Amino acid sequence: MNRRLLPTTVVGSYPKPNWLRRLIREYEKGEISDKVMRRAYDDAVKAVVKEQELAGVDILWDGEMRRDEMTSYFARRIEGFTIYGEVRVWGNNYYPKPAIVDELRYKDELAVSDYKFLRKITDHEIKVPITGPYTLVDWSFNEYYRTREEAVYALAEVINQELRRLVDEGANYIQIDDPAVPTHPEEIEVAKNSIEIVTRGVNAYIGMHMCYGDYSKIYPEILEFNVDQIDLEFANRGFKDVEIFKEYEFTKDLGFGCIDVHTRRIESVEEIKDNIRKAFSIVEPKRVYVDPDCGLKLLPSEVAFEKLRNMCQAARELREELEG
Amino acid sequence: MSRVIPTTVGSYPRPPWFREYLRKVEGLQKEGGGGIDEATYAKAVAEVIREQRDAGVKVFTDGQLLWHDLLCYLATRIDGFEMNGLVRYFDNNLYYRIPKVKARLERKRNIIVDEFRVAYSIEREMKAVLSCFTLATLSEDEFYGNKADLVMDIAHIMNQEAKELVKRGAKYIQIDEPSLLYAEKEDLSIMKDAIEVIRQDVDAKFFLVTYFSDAERIFPEVLDFNVDVIGLDFVEGYEKNLDLLREYGVDKEIQAGVVDGRTTKMEDEEQVRRKVEAIDEIVDGETLYVSPNTGLEFLPYSKASEKLKVLCRSVGDINE
Ligand SMILES: [Zn+2]
Repeated sequence: MNRRLLPTTVVGSYPKPNWLRRLIREYEKGEISDKVMRRAYDDAVKAVVKEQELAGVDILWDGEMRRDEMTSYFARRIEGFTIYGEVRVWGNNYYPKPAIVDELRYKDELAVSDYKFLRKITDHEIKVPITGPYTLVDWSFNEYYRTREEAVYALAEVINQELRRLVDEGANYIQIDDPAVPTHPEEIEVAKNSIEIVTRGVNAYIGMHMCYGDYSKIYPEILEFNVDQIDLEFANRGFKDVEIFKEYEFTKDLGFGCIDVHTRRIESVEEIKDNIRKAFSIVEPKRVYVDPDCGLKLLPSEVAFEKLRNMCQAARELREELEG
Repeated sequence: MSRVIPTTVGSYPRPPWFREYLRKVEGLQKEGGGGIDEATYAKAVAEVIREQRDAGVKVFTDGQLLWHDLLCYLATRIDGFEMNGLVRYFDNNLYYRIPKVKARLERKRNIIVDEFRVAYSIEREMKAVLSCFTLATLSEDEFYGNKADLVMDIAHIMNQEAKELVKRGAKYIQIDEPSLLYAEKEDLSIMKDAIEVIRQDVDAKFFLVTYFSDAERIFPEVLDFNVDVIGLDFVEGYEKNLDLLREYGVDKEIQAGVVDGRTTKMEDEEQVRRKVEAIDEIVDGETLYVSPNTGLEFLPYSKASEKLKVLCRSVGDINE
């Protein structure tokens, strides 16, 4: 993997360009063809990758231009899921909540073609984010399996097949997005077992991203998960959670969310440097990956870019200071 | 055998067209209420009432179609509250804004009266849904410094609201209190007094409804609460709640949540029917209300009516 000190990366999503949003709406109305839409996605990925490169990101992803949302996007591509309609998350915010209505089986690739396209257009290292089985099940209805646990394990087998294919294609860094894990500390064993299945025979560097939730309820248990890196948000709660991780020796690499994706305020380079230094109280600098708290998709493009650029500049300056 | 009456608990998924409408007029962030055309709203309410009626429901709710924050919605209409960051609502993948109590709470305007008026003009057998203890518990108190005072002030506000509701025709007042299931014993005596306050000079049938868990922590104290109907969750707490009823007996009516309002999986009607019969054997109120265990907004729109049909069909011929 990237042996550079304090490698910078993204969690996954990046704001979609306005023109792409407009095209997606037209596409949904049937006004443009599949072919044109595919080209539009490709162009959007190229633009977003360029932006990440300009900002100075070391390890990047395609900004999830093709994904509408992190649950249903995958559910639509896995056999055994159906989607009846949207369910509210809060206020006027909804998501198409999938339902498991049959045995879950691998049907279609989930991220392989995205990875292959991205590989063609950048020389940077690539990280492939994919939603974890625990979170996919937690955010779906289960009509088929007797227990949640069974559903999680069945889905873990499906995701495992995808990860193996990704590795066959050359992917060497995969991130499992599992934000639902900290929200159910009572099921931490199920989540842990699911990661065991997902990563079986997958020869790649594995990260696990979690956001929201009360980390104190899952620490130090998450250290037993079969992953190389744990990636967490810290900026959102003013770095208060750093204390939680000091209590036991942190034995993984740490993905350190050091800029807040829920505010448009652009943190200064100095401020971000101070933020990143807080990670060193958990693990030594060579185990720290620098990234935003979470995906950037809810921010305006210019803000996302400025934030990333400052983050990368901060990491670069710290790197120089540390390497002397 | 009691008369078995199917009812709903409160929330109902918004009809898809109304969901889009709200998204347009309110955006994704704002509080509910502003700029909504009353005729459009009334049309949506009529639609969810029709869905309930077609399924076989006899006592209705308006579906809380303008509520953005579950029970916390009530706080947006009470002076002294300020709305804050998002938090998860119990164990659901659903969030609410934490209401912060910043000053003495006061009712300076209607809370749900205007919504009730619309629903009541369409259907007379309409429950009005309020909350007191849960609203206090889900809030952050920065003013009272004492839970009893906070609960009591909310109770007074709910009493004013209930009086207003009865003036507009309300016969049924439902107090939703899921937080009571996680309460401490001293909270129960606070709530007992609070209910006396809420009911004062209010001529209506009172429901106290709980969900998300069994009712072990509120028994037997809840039996002394001055309410007519107790709502219990017989999905999450079937065995336990049956045991509690057997052990302590109950001289109130029960609203039994017997189908799962949080999953699209449809129950076997025969099994639901047996559940209802088992409950009916223990309680001897004149009426046994049956319902989903929770509000239905956890479901996609088309599945809500399907769930209600399962409920109503499973008890369909019990009354005959
Ligand atoms: Zn995240």
